[in-house]
Amino acid sequence: MTAMSKTEIVEGYSPNFEGWVQEFHEWQNRIGFDPAWLGDYRFEIRFDWISAGDSIEFGDFKGMPKWSRRMQIPQQNIRDAIISMISVQGDTEFASVEQQNHLLATAPTEYDRKSALRIMCEEQRHGWQMAYLLCTYFGEQGVREAAKLLERNAQDGTRLLGSFNAPIDHWLDFFCFTHFIDRDGKYQLKMLSTSSFQPLAASMGPMLKEESFHLGTGANGLRRIVKAGVIPTTFLQKYINKWVSTGLDLFGTDESTSAQWAYVYGVKGRYDERESDEDADRDHLNEASRGLYFDEIRSEMARISKGRPEGDPELYLPSDKFNRGIGKYSGKLYTVMGEDFEGTEEEYAEYLAGVLPSDEDERKLMEEYMAPGVEWIQYRESKE
Amino acid sequence: MQTHALLNVDRDLLLPFFERVPELFDRYHNDSQSNPEMYEELLYKIHRPLSSDMLDMIDDWMGLEHRRLNQDQDLMLRLFLLAIRYPDTLLLESLDDIITEDVRRISAYLHFTSHTYTIWDQDTRKGLKLLGFDIPDTQKADPFIYGAYVGTIELIKDLAPFTCFLEHDVPRQRLFQAAIAQYGREA
Repeated sequence: MTAMSKTEIVEGYSPNFEGWVQEFHEWQNRIGFDPAWLGDYRFEIRFDWISAGDSIEFGDFKGMPKWSRRMQIPQQNIRDAIISMISVQGDTEFASVEQQNHLLATAPTEYDRKSALRIMCEEQRHGWQMAYLLCTYFGEQGVREAAKLLERNAQDGTRLLGSFNAPIDHWLDFFCFTHFIDRDGKYQLKMLSTSSFQPLAASMGPMLKEESFHLGTGANGLRRIVKAGVIPTTFLQKYINKWVSTGLDLFGTDESTSAQWAYVYGVKGRYDERESDEDADRDHLNEASRGLYFDEIRSEMARISKGRPEGDPELYLPSDKFNRGIGKYSGKLYTVMGEDFEGTEEEYAEYLAGVLPSDEDERKLMEEYMAPGVEWIQYRESKE
Repeated sequence: MQTHALLNVDRDLLLPFFERVPELFDRYHNDSQSNPEMYEELLYKIHRPLSSDMLDMIDDWMGLEHRRLNQDQDLMLRLFLLAIRYPDTLLLESLDDIITEDVRRISAYLHFTSHTYTIWDQDTRKGLKLLGFDIPDTQKADPFIYGAYVGTIELIKDLAPFTCFLEHDVPRQRLFQAAIAQYGREA
């Protein structure tokens, strides 16, 4: 089903949300995000009710009207699941701004600075939208959760998901983050776009349109780095090895019961929920989404690698078994190609040091490849 | 103007198009005749300060003879390209007739210097007609007709559902213009 997009912009806010907005401005101040950077950008609450649909699309409540208010949600555990989904989504939006805003001062070109700034504005808007849902639809419990979105902090390591506490020290990490991690974000948003909670589903359309720019920035950035030919692909490969496993982990555990319950409630669907003709395998929902994501980043990597200088080895994706933090491959020793590692744990640590970025690699990246004056990324002008 | 435009949208005509945007774009943009590699190179090679050589590269990609302008006209054209800001098209009236005599050429210059402006072509115009927007034909860069053409593509972009917005190494205006062109070409 493809619906026409007709975005509603909310004009008036509840006192709960207005109170939260004050806290938001304090948060901006605390993390060093100067509101003047926003220019004429205005945070708005946007809903696309048409693409959200009116009837629950999957799960045990399929065919019933979507819930548009808290009291329509039939069980407290479903309300809790929805609040949790909104909180996690909002948490990642603010976390990414905390991780990235220091990079604006070192942007390689004005185009990149403006792109990163646009991404940070839009991530804040997404967080703003999630806080609005919490404050407007979930009473005191929602207001408390919305406040926590601004209390946890990536620098302190208190954000809900691991990769949103990891430092983004330089622009190579920024492009990897927007390519691999924001792409995971696209999957999460699309899975929520069919949600049984209508205000959540209606929030996703405008957010997904904005997210596509974030992914494009990551993919284009990596392509431009490869084309510039200053950073060798063997060196870049280590960063790809680092970020792919992080992206895969973000889909959650294998055989997840919480994903299964979210499906039963109709709160979170499959990535291809509306396109798929097959019944969902409810025991392996996270694995299915992770598989689609893995296929997508594999074909994207082939495109990125195409522009490499003659003689440079091709970039590739590490195996989905490599360096995983959760799931059935977690805690086991695999090579980047997915073969069992033959050796001790000490030898494996040495192996990892060779295939993941080391402190020495980080130094070399900043002091040689990305040193001032080095054109390590293909120039692109900032245009409307 | 946005109100007037929205009230004249026929949603039924747009829906089948929206379902096919990524595929239509791919077929048009990646057609060998479209020379997609050169298009994508131009996104990087056209930048300030604008030189005549850069405009020549655009002429080559469009398959047009290089323009024949005297020094003053060439300077006037480059100043125009630097000065114009979307959604303005009335600034076209300030140019000599010889510069605006081919809407395809000047729209391509505008597109590569300011991505919000789209390239004029007949397939796109046909596609727009199928979608319920009948843009009059013109050879000359008429500010009103070209303005309606660009504004209509922007409106369609605004109305598109999120499934149309796949990431590409091209501006979104190109994504939609190319998809509309293929839609028109297939008719």
